[in-house]
Amino acid sequence: MSTLLEVRNVSRSFHTTRAVDDVSFEVRQGELLGLIGPNGAGKSTLFNVIAGVIPPTSGEILLSGATVTGWKPYAMARAGVARTFQIPKPYRQLSVVENVMMSAFLRTKSMAAARELADTVLADVGLTAYRETPANVLTVGLLKRLEVARALATRPKLVLFDEIMAGLTPAEVGAMTEMVAGLPARGMTVIWVEHVLYAIMKTATRMIVINRGKLIAEGAPAAVARDPEVVKAYLGEEMQLA
Amino acid sequence: MSTVIQLIVSGVLIGSVYALMSIGLTLVFGVLRIVNFAHGEFLMIAMYGAWAISHWVGVNPYAAVIAVVPAMFLFGGLVYRLVVSPGLDKPHLVVVFATMALSIFLQNAALMLMTADLRDVPPIFAHSIAIGPVYIKVELLLGFVVTLVCTAALQWMIKRTYLGKAIRATVQDGEAAMLMGIAVPKIFLITFALGSALVGLAACVMLPLFSVFPTVGLNFVLIAFVIVVLGGMGSIEGALLGGVCVGVVQSVSGYYVAPAFGQLFFFLLFLLVMIFRPNGLLGQKGAAMLGVNE
Amino acid sequence: MAGVAATGGGSGRISLLPRRGQMSWFEIALLLGCVAWVGLGLAPSLADVTVLTFLFAGLALSWNIAGGYAGLISFGHAAFFGIGAYASTILLLSYGLTPWVGILVGAVAAAIAGSVLALICARLRGPFFILSTLAFAEVVRIGALNWSSLTGGAEGLSIAPMPDLANMVLASKSAYAALMLGYLGLAFAVTRGIEASRFGFYLLAIRDSDEAAAAAGINPLLVRTDAMALSAAMTGIGGTLFAQYFLYLDPTYVISPELSFQFALLPAVGGIGTAIGPVLGAFVITPLSELLRSSLGNAAAGLHLVIYSLVLIVVMLYFPSGIAGALDRLKRRKASP
Repeated sequence: MSTLLEVRNVSRSFHTTRAVDDVSFEVRQGELLGLIGPNGAGKSTLFNVIAGVIPPTSGEILLSGATVTGWKPYAMARAGVARTFQIPKPYRQLSVVENVMMSAFLRTKSMAAARELADTVLADVGLTAYRETPANVLTVGLLKRLEVARALATRPKLVLFDEIMAGLTPAEVGAMTEMVAGLPARGMTVIWVEHVLYAIMKTATRMIVINRGKLIAEGAPAAVARDPEVVKAYLGEEMQLA
Repeated sequence: MSTVIQLIVSGVLIGSVYALMSIGLTLVFGVLRIVNFAHGEFLMIAMYGAWAISHWVGVNPYAAVIAVVPAMFLFGGLVYRLVVSPGLDKPHLVVVFATMALSIFLQNAALMLMTADLRDVPPIFAHSIAIGPVYIKVELLLGFVVTLVCTAALQWMIKRTYLGKAIRATVQDGEAAMLMGIAVPKIFLITFALGSALVGLAACVMLPLFSVFPTVGLNFVLIAFVIVVLGGMGSIEGALLGGVCVGVVQSVSGYYVAPAFGQLFFFLLFLLVMIFRPNGLLGQKGAAMLGVNE
Repeated sequence: MAGVAATGGGSGRISLLPRRGQMSWFEIALLLGCVAWVGLGLAPSLADVTVLTFLFAGLALSWNIAGGYAGLISFGHAAFFGIGAYASTILLLSYGLTPWVGILVGAVAAAIAGSVLALICARLRGPFFILSTLAFAEVVRIGALNWSSLTGGAEGLSIAPMPDLANMVLASKSAYAALMLGYLGLAFAVTRGIEASRFGFYLLAIRDSDEAAAAAGINPLLVRTDAMALSAAMTGIGGTLFAQYFLYLDPTYVISPELSFQFALLPAVGGIGTAIGPVLGAFVITPLSELLRSSLGNAAAGLHLVIYSLVLIVVMLYFPSGIAGALDRLKRRKASP
């Protein structure tokens, strides 16, 4: 398996705060990498650096060996990196299918082809019933699914999911988890930032843990869950396990 | 050398008056996130009001403040209820168009009622006073003092009173403010009316310095926009700072450069600020990026 | 089979798909009506209004490309109108270049200006954007006013009123009406073409969310610039046509905020972001405004504008999706009782 994404010594500071501190890791093709950490750990900042929203203060990002550090979000999207938004940003005045078509247009100029691709993706995420619904009346759960649909419609090599489970019912979480788990088999690599731990623990092939901007653990989900540093990070100093 | 000092001093003084006229605009934007395109016409109406009182009751415009300011407060409230509030939950351009149409309405209503004749008040103070090497028109100095007092009072109100806190809360997060029991629509109403009252105060101070005619608002609203943008939308200190900058620039360039280009300078200044510091010198971060429905 | 007419929708939602590439019976009827109106001979009293209405409909459609679909609300479009008008006229008067070619030069010049404006306003949204467009237009106007050697300054430029088809001076008002109808048709076709294309979708994307668009691989600044350039070019074409009809240009009217306001107002009243909306807006407002001006303009200075502005306020507050939106709601109500 070749390395698809390499994050090399990436740091990001805001004035005097080091939100991301010298983080390095690789993502191999076909992996489902989980990125977890307590609140305020710097996951979102790291996510946004990878997605191209903000440049790193230092360090590099490489996609399939090529340097993409500082590339703008639309350039990253064209290079095959799709992302979802934690707070969904749908095109409010357009319908669900039109929202997804917008992303599908990355791969085709034809209206018909875009619509076809959009319909396929809608079927994947289970939104076909809402095809013609205006985005501004959808519930949070459906909007999150729409986010996923839009990301998938760009036919990406690498998908970045940003807390797609927050606000979903247990049934919705189950359905979404199943869909995400199936993505590597379809040729996509996934980096998944998530708070809803049980979902990500089940599906991730590998996990990394961020705390206070630093990468504190890396490995299989079970191993990471038992790592004392990780437990300390989540539960605080008082609850160190012997 | 003394010319330059004179120009700068005059510029600072007139700039403060411009600032007074602009505070209402920046306040309304900071709280309601809308630009009142009829702002200049509010000034025009208030100036006519001050003139009318001065002309028929026989007092000077400064005394007319006791009538003009409350009247403008009520006028602002009325305009808010009738024109602004129905447009707030609609696409942004509704409020834009509504206030622009209001501006046209007020200009032409004034034209019909008062004709295009320039109206003035007779000079109040016979001489300028000399402070060091500089001559200062008393009216200008009074305007400067009124602006400082007013700004200080506003700052006090914003920091110390419940209303001020409510306004600040609404500026930061309207939804949260509502959840906390703040009647946000009422805050909007009061802010808009307050902005209008401030324009009324500015009008009384400006009438001794400028004539009033139906389209006088157009000249001043431009200046107000540049000031508000320079100082940062929503910032009262910014308006003061912006006003002083604009006043000095106008004073100095008016002396050294042809008047035809005076307006051009304003617009270029505006565009330059928009390109390089869209948040203004003291404005809210990201204010310029605020979209329509945010 | 004719599709569904352009819709505004109560929530301002505009759906592209039903309309794509199809003309509704309403639009076809309207088009045929216009052709008949002109073709069957215009009463002289109506000729002027007809010419202006068709011209403003084309200008409204042009504004709508950037303002309606992409959400780039500009109150400075008169700058592009003026650039087009002056470019072709200067080329005609100084170099004898026929306006039939000059019109294209004007369009290109306007497109460049539009791109510049978009770049200046790259980081601006909402009221800041609007104010910047106003400032931009004023810079252009004052520039034109003062650069007398080029533009004739306040005295303006005049074109000889001798009919000369080769130089776009037409013999009759009916001929001008046909010319303006052609412009309207062009603008309408361009609008429909955009609606049926990926570019049209991209315009809607940047209207709603730059960030989401970027995540879909769209370059928001590029789309914004393209939209503005196209809108400006189309507006510039209208400027040349105006110059050739009116035969006199002066910056105070041609690049005025009042004119800019009109260009934005007509689509807003008719239904922003739809193809038929700007046309409806022009067909209703332009004759109304001419009527008010002619019947009341003499009664009391400003009365016609007082009434006009009050009508506007009411329409904007209570019919925000414009005439097209209202018609659409009526149709839906009839369809599902």
